[in-house]
This record gives sequence, C-alpha cells and structure tokens, in this order.
Amino acid sequence: MDFNISFTAGAKPEELYDLIIIGGGPAGLTAGLYAARYKIKTLMIEKMPVSGGQLTATEWVENYPGFPEPILGQKLAKDMETQAKLFGLEVINEDVVKVELTGKIKKVHTPYAVWQAKTVLISTGSSPRKLNVPGEAEYKGNGVSYCATCDGPFYPDKIIGVVGGGNTAFEESLFLAKYASRIYLIHRSDNYRADEILKERVEQNPKIEYVPFYQVDKIDFANPDGKKIILSKTPNPGNVIPAQAGIRPVLSNPTHHPESVGLRPTTPSDEKMELTVDGIFIFIGNDPNTKLFEGQLDLENGYIVTDRSHKTNVEGVWAAGDVQSKALRQVATAVGDGACASYWINKYLEEWKE
Amino acid sequence: MPILDEKIKQEVTKILANMVKPITIKLFTQGMECGYCKETHELLNEIVATNDKLKLQVLDLEKDTEEVKKHNIEEIPAIVVMDEKDHGIKFYGIPAGYEFSSLLNALLMVSTGVAKLTDETKAFLDKLEKPVDLKVFVTPTCPYCPQAVILAHQMAYYSDKVTAEMVEVSEYAHLAVKYQVQGVPRTVVNEKWFQEGAAPEQILVEKIKEAL
Ligand SMILES: Cc1cc2nc3c(=O)[nH]c(=O)nc-3n(C[C@H](O)[C@H](O)[C@H](O)COP(=O)(O)OP(=O)(O)OC[C@H]3O[C@@H](n4cnc5c(N)ncnc54)[C@H](O)[C@@H]3O)c2cc1C
Repeated sequence: MDFNISFTAGAKPEELYDLIIIGGGPAGLTAGLYAARYKIKTLMIEKMPVSGGQLTATEWVENYPGFPEPILGQKLAKDMETQAKLFGLEVINEDVVKVELTGKIKKVHTPYAVWQAKTVLISTGSSPRKLNVPGEAEYKGNGVSYCATCDGPFYPDKIIGVVGGGNTAFEESLFLAKYASRIYLIHRSDNYRADEILKERVEQNPKIEYVPFYQVDKIDFANPDGKKIILSKTPNPGNVIPAQAGIRPVLSNPTHHPESVGLRPTTPSDEKMELTVDGIFIFIGNDPNTKLFEGQLDLENGYIVTDRSHKTNVEGVWAAGDVQSKALRQVATAVGDGACASYWINKYLEEWKE
Repeated sequence: MPILDEKIKQEVTKILANMVKPITIKLFTQGMECGYCKETHELLNEIVATNDKLKLQVLDLEKDTEEVKKHNIEEIPAIVVMDEKDHGIKFYGIPAGYEFSSLLNALLMVSTGVAKLTDETKAFLDKLEKPVDLKVFVTPTCPYCPQAVILAHQMAYYSDKVTAEMVEVSEYAHLAVKYQVQGVPRTVVNEKWFQEGAAPEQILVEKIKEAL
C-alpha cells in the first residue's frame, strides 16, 4: 500500500524566499531539487494536493531514461517529489491566482496569502485541450474524461470512444483496453502522430479500432442507457497521407470486428455517424497554463518565450517545462529545463542586491 | 509489518510537529475486522505514535451503538477526526494513496484551527440555515481527489451546518452503484446534487446553493 504526502509544513508568508517555483510537475520538482541542493531558500507552490503534474495522469512512462522496465507515472512523480523534499524543498498546496513580477521583490498571490521572493520560476505546465462540442462540459466526469488512469477502472467490459491521434491517445487507448471491451480511436485524419512502436501495439490489440476521418460533433449522454456520440466526416482533414502503411480503418475493414455493432452511419454516405459508447476519453493535445501571465510576460501561441538560460523577458523570472515555447514537451525535456533554470537562478541570486 | 515506511514516517512526524491542539481520532471497526479495517487500524496506530497530541479511540460498529449513533456512522472502516467537538469530518475507507494527504490535512486543520477558505466562501457558510452534507467519492490512485476531499472537510470544519465524508468507492461497491459513480472525484451534495471533478471553491458553493 502506498501513502502520498503532498505538502511540507514549514512555509511562512512573512519570509522572503530566494525562489518561488509555481507548479510542481517534473520541471518544478527538478528545479526544486537543484535549488534545495544549492541551499537557496525555495518554496514550491503547487495547486493540487499532489505533485507531479501531468505525470500523475500517466499510466506507464517508457521513454524516461534510467527505467528499462516501464515506470508508473505516479511512482515517478512521487519519487521526484520525495527526492526534492529530502534535500529540504518546502511545498505548499495553494492555487496561484495573481502574480506581480516586475520589481525587485516578486509577489505571488494565492487565495490565502501573498508569498514573496527574489526570483520566480514558472513551471505551470499545460492542461488537456477541450473539444469544445456540445455535451462535453455537461458530462465531464460523467462519461467524459481526460484521464485514463483516473477513470479507466470505471469502464470494465464497456465501450469507449477515444479522441486523438498522438502519443497520449495511443498510450491511453492501450491502457483503457485493459478494462474496456472495445475502443474506438477517433481521429480527424489517418495521419497519426504517435510513435511507430505505439502504432504497432494499437494495431495488434484486437480491442482497438481506428475510426479515421471523423470528428466529434456532439456528446449525447442524456439517456444513461443509450449514451452516444455524433460524428461527422472531417470536412478538411488537412495533410492526409493516403493509405498509410499498417493502418486499417474500421470502415474499410469490416471484417476486423464482424460483431461490431456500436458504430452506425446515420446518413447514406457515411457523412454522419452515431457511435454508442459508455464513455469518451479526449486526448487532443494540451494548452499552456499561462492565463496568469498574459500582459506581464512575452508569450508565443500562449507559451512563455525564454532565452537559452530559460529566462523570460522580465528580470528575475524564469520558465521551465511544458509551459515554455519549445518543440518537444516530455518528462525528459521538462526535467532538463528545470535543472538548467535552477542553475541560472542560483547564479543570478549570487549577485542579487535589493 | 509496519504500514508506513521510515521515510514517510519521518515526513509525517515533521508535518505533525506543527499541531497545536490535541486531536482525537475515532476509528469505527468490528471484532472481526472488515476488508480494510485492519490496515486502517494499523495505519492510525502508527500515525498516533508519532505525536503526543494524537489520541486514537477504537470503537465497534455493533457494540458501541451510542457512539455510532452520535457520529452517524454508516459504514466501516470509518474515521472521525475531532477535537473536543465533532466537526463532521469523516473518512469512509482507508485514506491511503493520495488520500493520505487528505488525512494529514484534516489533522492539521483541526489542530491548528485554520481552514483555508476564501472570505467569500466563509461569508456564504456563515449564512447557511439548512444542513449541508458533502460525500466525496474517491479512489486512492486519483490525483485530483484530495483537492475535493480537503475542500469539503474545510467547509465542514468551518461551518457547524456542514458535514463532509470521504468515501473510498472501491471498498463500497454498493455506494458506487447507489450514487452512480462513474468517475472520481464526485461530490454528492445532500444526497441528490452532483459535482464532478475537483471543482474550485466558488463552483462547489454554487452547487450547494442549487441544492438548498
Ligand atoms: C496522459 C499523458 C501521458 C503522457 N505520457 C508521457 C510519456 O510517456 N513520456 C513523456 O516523456 N511524457 C509524457 N507526457 C507528457 C509529460 O507528462 C509532460 O511533458 C510533463 O509532465 C511536463 O512537465 P511540467 O512540469 O512542465 O508540467 P506539468 O506536468 O503540466 O505540471 C505543471 C504543474 O503546475 C501546476 N499548476 C498549474 N497552474 C498552477 C497555478 N496557477 N498555481 C499552482 N500550481 C499550478 C499544475 O497543477 C501541475 O502540477 C504525458 C502527458 C499526459 C497528459
């Protein structure tokens, strides 16, 4: 049995911290580990009573080096946190609602206190993107989910629609297949961005069927005994690579599941389809958690712009991890960003004068 | 075999060193201990051993009927966290996994007397006339769940009108069915109104308004 403690109990708002880290995902935790070892007075503010960020919503991590056997995301998160705390990182669980970043002393507001520091590292990461279709908000947590590890076990022998075409959609479909009897993997095109190794596994899994070239128009879970999602053919699927090797769209391969009953066209030309499901999981990418910083920091498509030392355009403010404008958003890169940022912050603090 | 490993025990000791007032933990179980009753009992023994301000009282669902009635106990294992007064803070099922933070948070909150709620929420709770019961359904592996549990417990601590229970669904399959739990966390307000996910304070307040 596992026991997780998300906070420490030594933080005090009257203190002036050397560094406040906003967000306790892999980037923040690594920065915190390094900062604690530099012995700079650091406070990490994480809004959830759990550190680890998106890692906590991940089943297996297979591409983080050092773990030839896949490691559970939640275990990796917890180990990162334990390690940082071991060196004295202070963690509180409060939601940062406002920041004042200009000026020598930075102020970080939560609903309960104002915390002050000489430097701030932003590692607020990103959150799952919404489909923005009718029914999505209404049935969230009630058939609509963004977290397979959280909600997968509620779907034993059930039928699930998964939306998305990237690594996360593929990984989480494989995880969900452990519980569900059937999974429809719905994607706007047949150009899947997932790694080859994941595609192979999905294709070998008899429970998972591709539904390419369709988008979700509506989630209709009003009738608990007849939950359905309405799909329509993607008007412009974008850059489609025709007949990608290895991909077997369910529609062109009706023999894959001769007993397939959940999916049925509602128009003669297959323009629209109705899919009977027990739940829908949405993995269509992420949006950065940067609302707080709009107008204070330079953003690019919502992501924070940094230089090579992870510094933002405001003095004394750094950013690391998914929240940064960069090419690859993974645990391995977040961890590297966090370590680097701490290094530069430590250097800056050595010369800091009021 | 101890339930908490040395590292965790050290962390617990450090955190609970911030306690102020003494706390009583009441555990409701049975002679023949149920599914997770034994582990819950052992867990509480180990926590109580870390700090003099903690006292554990073990009660029997069948024999201690008066206590069962007084604290309105419906399932076992049940944990009540209280000082001289029952604030309506309960845990049904073992607070393991991520819920361990919820338990520590409840102990600290009652002991220090600080419920982290915004002034707006406090003002709303001050005006409550009717009782509000919050049941928060969780699983130990759900990272979003403690947020919902802690919020409910904070409201219960702050207001005499509010009671709040964590319910670990995998131990009570019948409750999962009864309250149609399909995802966690799910907060049930006064048996009928549902709030999905780890909703921020204001959203839960709105839901409570709806239920009243
Ligand atoms: C389902 C899933 C599967 C994945 N699988 C893999 C994989 O196999 N391999 C891999 O390398 N990567 C994977 N990723 C991506 C990886 O998890 C992310 O790249 C990584 O977690 C980014 O770390 P981060 O610290 O930058 O941000 P995050 O992990 O997003 O953490 C940000 C933290 O900041 C907190 N926060 C946000 N706003 C505030 C605020 N206002 N106040 C306080 N705290 C705040 C959040 O609660 C969160 O804890 C996966 C992601 C998902 C969702």
